[in-house]
Amino acid sequence: MDTQIDNGPGAASAFIQLAPGETITSESGAMIAMNGCQISTTTHKRKSGNIFGGLKRMLGGESFFMNHYTAYNEGGEVWLATTLAGDMAEVNVEAGTKIVVQSGSYVASEDGVEVNLDWQGFKSLFAKEGLFWINLSGSGKAIINSFGAIYTIDCDGEYIVDTGHIVAFEETLSFKLSKAGKSWLSSILGGEGLVCKFSGTGRIWVQSHHASNFGHSLGPLLRPRKQ
Amino acid sequence: MSTEEYEYAEEQPTSDMDYHFDCKPDFSFLTVQIPANETLKVEASAMATMDTNIKMKTKLKGGLGRFLTGENLFVNEFTAENGPGEIGIAPGAPGDMEHVHLSGSSIFLQNSAFVCASMGIDVETKWQGFMKGFFSGEGLFLIKCSGEGDLWFSTYGAMIPIDVDGEYTVDNNFIVAFEDTLEYSVGSVGGYKSLFFSEGLVCHFQGKGRLWIQTRQCPAFAGWLHPFRPVKSKN
Repeated sequence: MDTQIDNGPGAASAFIQLAPGETITSESGAMIAMNGCQISTTTHKRKSGNIFGGLKRMLGGESFFMNHYTAYNEGGEVWLATTLAGDMAEVNVEAGTKIVVQSGSYVASEDGVEVNLDWQGFKSLFAKEGLFWINLSGSGKAIINSFGAIYTIDCDGEYIVDTGHIVAFEETLSFKLSKAGKSWLSSILGGEGLVCKFSGTGRIWVQSHHASNFGHSLGPLLRPRKQ
Repeated sequence: MSTEEYEYAEEQPTSDMDYHFDCKPDFSFLTVQIPANETLKVEASAMATMDTNIKMKTKLKGGLGRFLTGENLFVNEFTAENGPGEIGIAPGAPGDMEHVHLSGSSIFLQNSAFVCASMGIDVETKWQGFMKGFFSGEGLFLIKCSGEGDLWFSTYGAMIPIDVDGEYTVDNNFIVAFEDTLEYSVGSVGGYKSLFFSEGLVCHFQGKGRLWIQTRQCPAFAGWLHPFRPVKSKN
């Protein structure tokens, strides 16, 4: 896929051109417009149960819809959108290295990239907000989006990132979650209050703003929901 | 099928009124210089600042019928009395803005995209063929702007113009505006799934003309916000 990302960091969009017969996959709801492609949808079942109870309610089942765009003979083009006001970036998934991406940040990927929805590393982090973690493997390009701007940190040693700011990272890094403050009180009152300490060598994609904090600041102002 | 390379025009194209944009594409703000004794019609609540010699009158466009459908277009008319006046306009949603000058042709706009127009522009909420958009597509409430004059419209997110020559398919939630030289039909695409709670309706365009799309949609934002809403207590 030939990607052009414009209008970042606040209102990014991706314009993708496909060669005849080429297929890309994207999360449902991301497509703005398209021409010259056949679209199909697959439903990805998630193997694990309980933790994603909240997610299950949000999505109405333990599944996640993906659209696949295959260009016809003249080639095709697809425009993709972000969910929140933010940026987009293209990442290269290389054979042998896996990239972990926050589910809200996955936008699209080439056919050679395998999208696995059951990454267990961060388990229930943000699960009640409908987020889970995706593992990208194989070889090819993928597009991620963010809340706010995206910037990359090439970790070589150690680096601490607040969990709400993690967009994606290479699985060559080891990580350890710990509470940000000295007490659990600040962690509970502040939402997650967790930071992730990465160590080793690898790239981390970070977003400038914390989506959950934004959600929590708006939540009390909105009408209550039934469940 | 072809899409020309797009470059934002830095110079204003022909317009009867002087204007300029600031803070595109994230927080677009429009400033218009209304000539003496002329009037600008502006979407209600969009006026941010204005000179003291500008006077305002409120109108409900489209009459009672439109009010009942739930789609309102409250329009305020701002007239510069005894001299020219400057008015600053900000639409409700943070995003982009565009200007077109119409001379006889028409543009269809998503209802929420209308920002302001000079008096020579007729804003119609019903026209022949209006049923196509209204009844066959969920949420595709179009208004038709035609006549002679300036029109400004806005988006949620950034705006991208596409010069269609052949066909193009756009998800209903991302359509902003299109020229009347394009044929359009609302429907679904086999195999396409949009947001979980959305109908997944798209609009197929055919012909030759310009189409404007936006880079974000409100339903996706609302869907993302849903888990953050407080849960109703049972008592």
